[in-house]
Amino acid sequence: MDAVLIMQMIMAAVLAAVIYSIIGIAPGTDETAVLAPVTLVLVLTGMEPIIILSFFISAIVAKKLTDSVPVAVAGIPGGVMSTPMVEHALVLKKHGLTDLSIRKMASGSVIGTTVAVPVSLILANALIPVSDVIKDYANPLFFFGAVFLALMTKNKILALASIIPFALLIQGLRHLYWGVGVVPEGTNVFISFFLGITIGPVILTLFELLNKDKRNSLQRFGKKDITYNKKNRYKGIPNPFKILTGKELLSSSFTSLIGSLTFIMSPVGITIFLGELFTSRIKDPVKKASRAISSMDGLTNAAYISGTLIPLIALGIPLSPMAIGPANALFNAPPVFTLEHNMHHVLSNADFIWATLIGAIVAIVITYFIIVKFSNQICAFIFTRIPHEAMLGLFFALVLLLAFMDAGWINIGGVLLIGMVAGVLHRWGINYGVQFMILYSAPWIISKLVG
Amino acid sequence: MTKTNHSEDEQSKNNIEVWEDLVNIKDLVLSLFICSFTTLTAYFIAPNEPPQPLFYGLIGALIGFGICSYFIKPKRSMREAESEE
Repeated sequence: MDAVLIMQMIMAAVLAAVIYSIIGIAPGTDETAVLAPVTLVLVLTGMEPIIILSFFISAIVAKKLTDSVPVAVAGIPGGVMSTPMVEHALVLKKHGLTDLSIRKMASGSVIGTTVAVPVSLILANALIPVSDVIKDYANPLFFFGAVFLALMTKNKILALASIIPFALLIQGLRHLYWGVGVVPEGTNVFISFFLGITIGPVILTLFELLNKDKRNSLQRFGKKDITYNKKNRYKGIPNPFKILTGKELLSSSFTSLIGSLTFIMSPVGITIFLGELFTSRIKDPVKKASRAISSMDGLTNAAYISGTLIPLIALGIPLSPMAIGPANALFNAPPVFTLEHNMHHVLSNADFIWATLIGAIVAIVITYFIIVKFSNQICAFIFTRIPHEAMLGLFFALVLLLAFMDAGWINIGGVLLIGMVAGVLHRWGINYGVQFMILYSAPWIISKLVG
Repeated sequence: MTKTNHSEDEQSKNNIEVWEDLVNIKDLVLSLFICSFTTLTAYFIAPNEPPQPLFYGLIGALIGFGICSYFIKPKRSMREAESEE
């Protein structure tokens, strides 16, 4: 590995840390929606895979570090994964300890990263021997993944019942594109369908705005009130081992370990479960809350990193909620990456270690220090300067662009259609995990259906 | 939610919730159009050799994002709290 490449990796990681520190703070940014399109675009530009990986690792670490900020400051989740932390962060906010809350969460994140990187590298290498067996069954595995994740949702039967119709919609569109000749037969349109599912909830809402009755009946709001404390700047160099108490260090390391080991499960569920387990016996509300948020943040961070790295290094197929969601482009972004030729096949073990270390360290150094020191200023800037409309516009435009590139004008309609259906499914509680698994297994499901 | 009296009255009670945050319908539509327009325009004026069009499109999207951030006001109001135990 030469110095130029390492420099490029560091630069990519710095860029990711800066961009995703900002995005992480903006409220309501779903992990998949903000990470997947940008990663996809980078992969499609044909950039060196190892540089993309350092970018991605830095992005997830930075995003995870900063999405605790809106939780602490305003009680608004910065992403789906920080939702379980809101209730505990609100306790600290009520006691006027917003700054403490941010420091605890960010430090928990650092612990999570520190634990997850070595654990996932070891676990991935341990899994390599069985990977050939797993790979042969990739297609049925995606189908069973869909069934499994469907059974984990609240409305199990509803989720199960939507698997085949949704698969039909996806394959139906693909066959239509082959039929009218916008896409060569056998080429599966994938990227834009993936993005259509991702922004499905937004597309559905946009269509509903065109319905006059619906529009008038929507609940109206004034402005979102956000209170914050301006003082309390942290003095000295932030050090997670000082910010967290001994017990907090222990429990966040432990939850991080569990988060890494259970990479195939949904992190949100485990976060809630372990968070309760560790804190249910603590009486003092402030201690309880800070213990909860530091361990939860450690866990989600660890689940992110291991959920990306383990399938990537060991399998080459996206078999975890993280891999099939935000990290999807590292596995499948035709024509650059396919399931038979992606980062798993291109990068060596040393490459993975280098990219991960550079990405994680750069993000921690930049984002952790900035967050602990300047969280209030950053928050104030983003809350008052970046409108939610612009974020939605940006992602909508990216989806439009990639839809057009995939299969021309007709596909913009196709992606809107997928988005509408995906949005309805989402509203029914059928999460992204189920929908993405269906997207992957759709060709297999249909081929089995017709026999 | 809590009832607070805002100073900008004609703006208040005009926002809806999309994806966990508040937006104004007109601003949202405007933003979607601006971003889509800048993105696709950049894509089509790019030299026709990959990955150039994609790069141009991405830059176009960022320009759109910048324009919208400049002209549209976020629907959040920040208040400094003095209460500390």
